[in-house]
Amino acid sequence: MPIDSATPKSANADPVGVLETVLAVVLLPFVGAALTPVVYRALGERTAYYAAAVAAVCLGLVTQLYTTGAHGVASVEWVPSLGISLAFYVDGLALLISFLASGVGVLILTYSGGYMHGEPGQAKYYATLLAFMGSMLGVALAGDLFALFTFWELTSLSSFLLIGHYTSEADSQYAARKSMLVTVAGGLFMLVGFLLLSWAGDTTLIAGEGSLTANAGSTIETLRAAGLFVPTLLLVGVGAATKSAQVPFHVWLPNAMEAPTPVSAFLHSATMVKAGVYLVGRFRPFFLSGTTGGHGEGTAEAAGAASAAVAEAAAATVPEWTVVFATLGLATMTIAAVLAVGSTDIKELLAYSTASHLGLIVAAFGVANSYGGEAGAFHILNHASFKAALFLVAGIVAHEAGTRRIDRLRGLRHDLPVTAVIAGVASLSMAGVPPFNGFYSKELLFEATYEYAHEIGGLTWVLPVVAVLGSVFTFLYSIKFLSLFLGDRTEELGHVHSPPLSMLVPPALLAVVVGIVSVDPMIAVNALVGEVYGSTVPGDAHSFTVGLPTTLKPAVVMSAITIGVGALAWPQYDRIHGAVRTMLRGPVRADWWYDNGVEGLTALSKAVVPRVQTGLVRTYAAWVLTGASALAVGAYVAAGVRLPALALPEATTLAVGVVLAVAVVGAIAVTDAPSHVAGVLTLSILGFMVAVFYVLADAPDLALTQLTVETLVLVIFLLVLDRLPAWYGESDRLTVARDAVVAGAVGLTVAGTVLVSTAGSPDTIAGGLITRAGLPPGEHLGLFTGYGGGQNIVNVILVDLRAFDTMGEISVVAMAALSVLTLVRMRERGETQ
Amino acid sequence: MSDDAPAGDAGAVGAADADGSGARPSVDTQTTVIARTVVRVVVPIILVTAVGLLLQGHNRPGGGFIGAVLTVTAFVLVYVIFGREYLQGDLLGVEATDDGSHTVVEYYRLLFAGGLALAAGSGLAPLFVGLPFLTQGVLFVHHVPLYGEFELASAFAFDLGVYLAVVGGLLTILGEVGSE
Repeated sequence: MPIDSATPKSANADPVGVLETVLAVVLLPFVGAALTPVVYRALGERTAYYAAAVAAVCLGLVTQLYTTGAHGVASVEWVPSLGISLAFYVDGLALLISFLASGVGVLILTYSGGYMHGEPGQAKYYATLLAFMGSMLGVALAGDLFALFTFWELTSLSSFLLIGHYTSEADSQYAARKSMLVTVAGGLFMLVGFLLLSWAGDTTLIAGEGSLTANAGSTIETLRAAGLFVPTLLLVGVGAATKSAQVPFHVWLPNAMEAPTPVSAFLHSATMVKAGVYLVGRFRPFFLSGTTGGHGEGTAEAAGAASAAVAEAAAATVPEWTVVFATLGLATMTIAAVLAVGSTDIKELLAYSTASHLGLIVAAFGVANSYGGEAGAFHILNHASFKAALFLVAGIVAHEAGTRRIDRLRGLRHDLPVTAVIAGVASLSMAGVPPFNGFYSKELLFEATYEYAHEIGGLTWVLPVVAVLGSVFTFLYSIKFLSLFLGDRTEELGHVHSPPLSMLVPPALLAVVVGIVSVDPMIAVNALVGEVYGSTVPGDAHSFTVGLPTTLKPAVVMSAITIGVGALAWPQYDRIHGAVRTMLRGPVRADWWYDNGVEGLTALSKAVVPRVQTGLVRTYAAWVLTGASALAVGAYVAAGVRLPALALPEATTLAVGVVLAVAVVGAIAVTDAPSHVAGVLTLSILGFMVAVFYVLADAPDLALTQLTVETLVLVIFLLVLDRLPAWYGESDRLTVARDAVVAGAVGLTVAGTVLVSTAGSPDTIAGGLITRAGLPPGEHLGLFTGYGGGQNIVNVILVDLRAFDTMGEISVVAMAALSVLTLVRMRERGETQ
Repeated sequence: MSDDAPAGDAGAVGAADADGSGARPSVDTQTTVIARTVVRVVVPIILVTAVGLLLQGHNRPGGGFIGAVLTVTAFVLVYVIFGREYLQGDLLGVEATDDGSHTVVEYYRLLFAGGLALAAGSGLAPLFVGLPFLTQGVLFVHHVPLYGEFELASAFAFDLGVYLAVVGGLLTILGEVGSE
């Protein structure tokens, strides 16, 4: 079910041109970032405009992709031996996110020119911001699971640097670590999910021809057969939820306001958190491929079950996707909105509101009908436009009024008239008040939840109810933000400056976008959102229309309830605010869990490290060897490896038996050696007996090597031994028993490994090597490269056929020599320096 | 014999670990005349044998790794019987510095760096003619005086690299441990 067929702009573009443009879009920000330090030396603070220009070029390239109607996969080989290609996929959703990242990027970087005036670390700031934008463009355009994951982690990395911009402040450090821990940990879950997907689908392409989405049916069947469908869904979901700050992983987002405000605005509107939402939208057609894409979708069986109105039956017909994401999204939408009402800081309020609106998008994508896709696709655009504007407004307020505390700010319209207008437009849009653009997408969410509940019945009626509840709180905090500009000035508010033009123009432009989409939402739908919607549905997409409602539909009633209840509750805002704050104590706060979890883990590592790393070689050896053995044995058990039957080879002679018996006696004697020197000498009996065994077994090369190495090791041992203490003291029985167990386990594992690996040697490899070690048949004239041309197969294998292995081995010898140099010579310097 | 090199590595690494505690070379100045005489005679033979093993490795038992370990054994004999100063000063002609014998280790380091470079370089060469990394070629030359047919294997360059890297690496370890 190719998505292309439904979109008006199908694959009519030159694919080579598409690839080049996409590569330029993704790589340009990184190149720009690399050049930033040089540019900063020349331009100083005006580097902001250089960075904005880089973003503008990206925006231009994205526009070119859009106008040429590029659509589909463009790829270059990356790691061909692993089947990983650097594939990009261009469609409506990818273009929308790219437009947001590069477009908002231009505005943010311009705004930074004013905001970051006189701040430290500007070169680093602009470089990281550009890299951040590039990573987000990479996430949006990636068409391959592993390319997506790489860019995904790059956004985590660059946001870590940006959130921790004020490196010396404890709050910044805490916030940066928190965002890193939460998002990177989530990314690892997602990686496991990706591995399962690529295993089941036998491809790493996400969308397009031959991709996971195109073969969703068979891939999902494979996953279900292995019982891995729900785990995969949950793993990918954890990745999206941590990135998009869904409850309970929303903890990092409010702390991320420690970053400079332009970063917050960027992070909350167009990048980072949008990555999670993007992931949900991107995988929606895959996970929902069993259901159809039209209005009033759902099968006849589903309707029948609904009429029975039995909760279990209804839950059975709701796809897992909806259970997970609609629940997650609506819970986040409501909880984060409540938390926003409880905020005391304008950036904190906006941060929680971001989590809440992302919850809305996730919930919309979660609902398995076409309204859901429409609502999610449209709200990505709407949220980005009003939230970026509001954050930039918050930056102006904090910068010019010198405080971000909600209770200190009032009547700002007297000092900041233009900013007040922008804030008015954007916050009414956020509240979902008609005719602003936030209203349309929220209306679609109401429609989606209501229609879904109407169709399925049962427990799904919770969805529209929670959606309305969350929207009431959204209305409340939006009006609170707006009220900062209304009323009379408070006296404690000192002189408020006017913001510079570079800080005023970007939010104004965003407000204009909000205004345009508000006046005629169909402009946005026709231009891009329709296609975005097409990217998020399985099967063929239909066109959709939005506009002010003309008839009394259930969704209209829901909107009316939201605004009505919100308006009624508004006079009680302070009381609700107080109630939320008193409620947020102890384990109710997700922060409590995070802080205690991190503290607990820190304490655990502090308790474990002294036991594992005592500074004694014995302890290290015991842990490393036991660990390696446990891993090896565990892998054998997991893979179902069986020990081959033991049998004496036919060629065993009496001489071999005697030699090996002497070796065993030598080995046993080592344990009872009275001194180190005696021990080493006894041990070398074992070594030399092995060498003799090689001679008897017709392996002269091995024998030679064993002899020389044994001699050398003996000498080195003797050089070192007289520096070791002669007596380690009496060991207690427990230690002896433990050491015996470790030694026995390691010995058995090694013996087992030798048996298993020698029994499993495939003849094809040996045969191939034997053929290729000698000379090619026929006359030996000129140069030939396919054959070793030698009679000593051991040496030919070492230096010719398997030379790459030898290369590694001599590197190890060199590394060992280097480590000895380092350890011996730098011992005196140590950590005291 | 693909497992002989790791065996040697393990020995070297083991020595590296063990020397962490430092070592005073147990060089008795009181070595016997018999030992001195035997070593004087034996060391050149060992060295020639080592080079022989290196050269004949392609067709007979031997090769770079064995040759290298044998060469180092010769050095160790001189070192144990005649002492460090004799080995480094008189035999190798390197002036000892104030703080001990670190200068000679610089040469050993050059040796293993050069060996690695030679091995890697011989692997890179085929890339220029469009063959994969580390492709080795064999060329038979006819009508060579004395030999008649003579086989030139590019693998020898790689083997020489292995030889130099192992000799350099082991001598570095010995030199460092010995100077403690």
